[in-house]
Formats: sequence, C-alpha cells, structure tokens
Amino acid sequence: MSTPGPERVPSTVKVGKTTGQGKPPAGKSAANRPGGNRPAGKGGKGKGRKPVTPVKVSGGRNWGPIAVAGIVVLIAAGIIGYGVFASVQGSKPWEEQAAAIEGVVDYRAQKNAQIDDRTHKEGQLTYVTNPPVGGAHNATWQNCMGDVYTQPIANEHAVHSLEHGAVWITYKQGLAADQVEKLQTKVEGKEYTFMSPVANLDKNISVQVWGYQLKVDSADDSRIDDFIRATRVKASMEPGAACSSGNTSTDPVPAAAASAPATE
Amino acid sequence: MISEVSPPASGASSDAPGAGGTPQRKFTYFAVALLVVGLLLGLGAGLVAPGLREPGDDSVEAGFLRDMSTHHAQAVEMAMIAHAGSTNPEIVTLAADIATTQQGQIGYMQSWLRDWHLSPTGTAEPMAWIPGSEGSIVNGLMPGMATPDQMAALRKATGKDLDVQFLTLMRAHHVGGVHMAQEGVELSENENVDWIADSMVTAQQGEIQLIDSLLKKAQAS
Repeated sequence: MSTPGPERVPSTVKVGKTTGQGKPPAGKSAANRPGGNRPAGKGGKGKGRKPVTPVKVSGGRNWGPIAVAGIVVLIAAGIIGYGVFASVQGSKPWEEQAAAIEGVVDYRAQKNAQIDDRTHKEGQLTYVTNPPVGGAHNATWQNCMGDVYTQPIANEHAVHSLEHGAVWITYKQGLAADQVEKLQTKVEGKEYTFMSPVANLDKNISVQVWGYQLKVDSADDSRIDDFIRATRVKASMEPGAACSSGNTSTDPVPAAAASAPATE
Repeated sequence: MISEVSPPASGASSDAPGAGGTPQRKFTYFAVALLVVGLLLGLGAGLVAPGLREPGDDSVEAGFLRDMSTHHAQAVEMAMIAHAGSTNPEIVTLAADIATTQQGQIGYMQSWLRDWHLSPTGTAEPMAWIPGSEGSIVNGLMPGMATPDQMAALRKATGKDLDVQFLTLMRAHHVGGVHMAQEGVELSENENVDWIADSMVTAQQGEIQLIDSLLKKAQAS
C-alpha cells in the first residue's frame, strides 16, 4: 500500500504529450492501462510513438474502471452484509426462541431462589408452580427416554429430569384419550422427553423444561412443538447428563430419612 | 497487481518525474481500489465460507448425528440395566463397554452439532436423511430399537432371563445401528461423521459376533 505513495508527488505534470518520449518502461505502463485498442500492450516500446490519442481517450474513459470497482465494492459489501446477517440470525439463542413463543413463562428471568435451587433433597418437597419448573429435587431423576407414564409421577424425580434437559409434557388427569394419544406421538422414541398426567392441573396441558413453562388447552396447539423444538436438550443445566438409568415407577418418593420415624 | 504496477512506476519517477503523469496515477488508484476490493471480497468470503462448509440444519450429517444420538442413548440405557443386574462377568464387562463407548460417542456427535451452530435435536422424522427410509419408523422407534414393553420386561428380568433378553435386544439394536452407520458413511461428506460412523460399523459388527457367542453360552446355561 505504501509503494504508490511517493510516485504521486512527482506526477503532477499535466496530461499533454509526455507519455511518448519517456523511457520505454513509462511508455509501457501508459500503453498498458487504456487496454482497449492495444491488443498487446506489454510489447511497449514502439507504440509509444502515437501518444496523443491514447492519452486523451484514457482521460475520458477512466470512469469505466471506477464504475467497475464501485460495482465490485457494492457486491463485496453485500456479501459481507449477508454473511453477518445470516450468522447473527442463525445464532439466535434458544432462550430467546423459547421466550418468544406466545404464552411461555420465563421463570429463569424471575431469579426466584426456590425455583433456581438445584440441590438434592430427600423426601417430599413443595414447589412454587404446578407442575414445577425447577427447585431442589430427589437424587434420582425420572427416566425420560421418551417414557409415557399413565399415572402421576413424583415431582421430586421429574424436576431432576428437567435439570438434565428433558421436556416434560403433563396433562390434566382424565384428558380425552385422543388428545393424550396426540401428546404421546410427541414423546415416543425421543430421549429427553417424558409425559405424565397431573391431578390438579389448571389447564389441559402444561409443557415444561427447567425454568420455562407453556400451558395450552389443546394437543393440537402448534406452540407445543415450537416449545419442544426450542428447548429439548438445550435447556439442560448439566450438558451431557442422561435420561436413562432413572426411576421408572410412578410411586411417590420415600419420606426423608430424618423424618422417617415420624411419618407413616 | 502491485508487482505489475511498481517496476514501471519507480522507473518513471526516478528518471522523468513528469513522464508517468495522470494516467499512471489513475492506474495506481485503480490498482489500490482493486486491492481494497480484493481484501473486502476475501473478508466476506472468510465470513461466509465456514458457514457453507459446515453441514446445515437439514443435512445428512445433522440427521445422522441426531438420530444416532437417539439410537445410542437407548443402547446405553439397555447396557446400564444389564450392567447393574447381570451376574455374568462377561456380560457385565460387555455392558460397561457398550455403555461407556456409546455415551462417549454421543458426546462427540452432540459437540459437532454445537460446533456447527445446529440444534442437538431435529424436527424431521427419524432417518429422513436416508432416501427411501419412509415407513421404517414404528411408534417413533428406529430399526433395532426396543419397544417400551421390551424395556419394561428387561428391567424386571433377572439371572439367565436378563442375560438372554439383554443379548437378544442388543443384537437387534446393533444390527439396526450398523445399518444406519453404513448409510452415514455412504451419504455423509463430512470427515468427522465418516470417521465415527465407520468406527461404529467395525466395532458393532465385532460386538455382534461376541454377543452371538455369549448368547449361545447363556442359553445353554
């Protein structure tokens, strides 16, 4: 880049007849540039003889290269712009995608210490929401390898599955069989999903991952699939944690050891 | 560009300052402009090219990694059940081998998806990346995968029952897995995917032979 600089200073002389009489190299470069009617510009020497015409022509023409360069710059800027746009667009984080679904409640944003609690605790636990979306939980997770539980399961196990990145589909106990079947097709064969009925659910269907919940009235609601697509596995608080080797029964959790003598 | 411009230019300026004149300056401007455009184009290409090189969301590679992760996850599940429940040391060892290897491979596969800025899960039907695979998915399960009933029976089984059920289910699982991995090798154009799929074909074919011999022993016992 610095090379062309110095040459600009001496070359202040005007267009005139100069081109021809100089050294061959200078003539060469001058002849080379206009390009158009000089088939073999490199040849140089002899052609320096007719100086005037080429120079005049080139003076009038030099908008050509500038225009070409301008167009190329525009195209280059377009490519760069598109590249940046595409990469920004494609990397929109899943949290934003989930929160953008109408009706999704973002409990992570609430910074509720009880919901954010990730400790393991024995015995039955109480949760802020129904169904829970986070909080202290049992050391054993509920198996979430696309398991379809037909009876209510222990929240204490299910919350641990949410921590592992599973989507938990719950429905009001007694929901119409065809609705339950539709939900089942969203779960079967898909690890990091599981479903179960909930006795006192305030809506027909509630879908949750750790920190996010979506409640809808119908299994046909397309937001269920949007929610699963945005959150499954990605919502994991422990990347790589498994859904297998979990609890597969629907029994309630056993009472905590310390309080065991007092209960039951 | 530069090299073509410089020699005549320096010759002109040292000898006859005025000789180059305006045309030469224009030529220099043009060369600089070209250089700048070249740099911009290179920059743009550098930004866009990695995205073009990486497999996309609906690519064969992404489909393979997602589906094989799901397929592997069930093998891990079955192997962990056998590892915990079997009293046959050979089967306990085989189960540990399968569980640790396949869980490790899930890690590889998931991290490539993440590297490519793709979701770890897809919305396409399982195995949709294999031409002609329509109809091979039953109740969401890919070929070779155990049904929920089979998994429930495996969890309840003990002793010889457990060993035979585990080996039988894992054999079928491997046959399905080898087939899918072969399709992966065949259809993928990504060297990571080719590498892991090829290793799965070799390893699981070997394990099928081991399973066959263990199955004979278990049934005879």
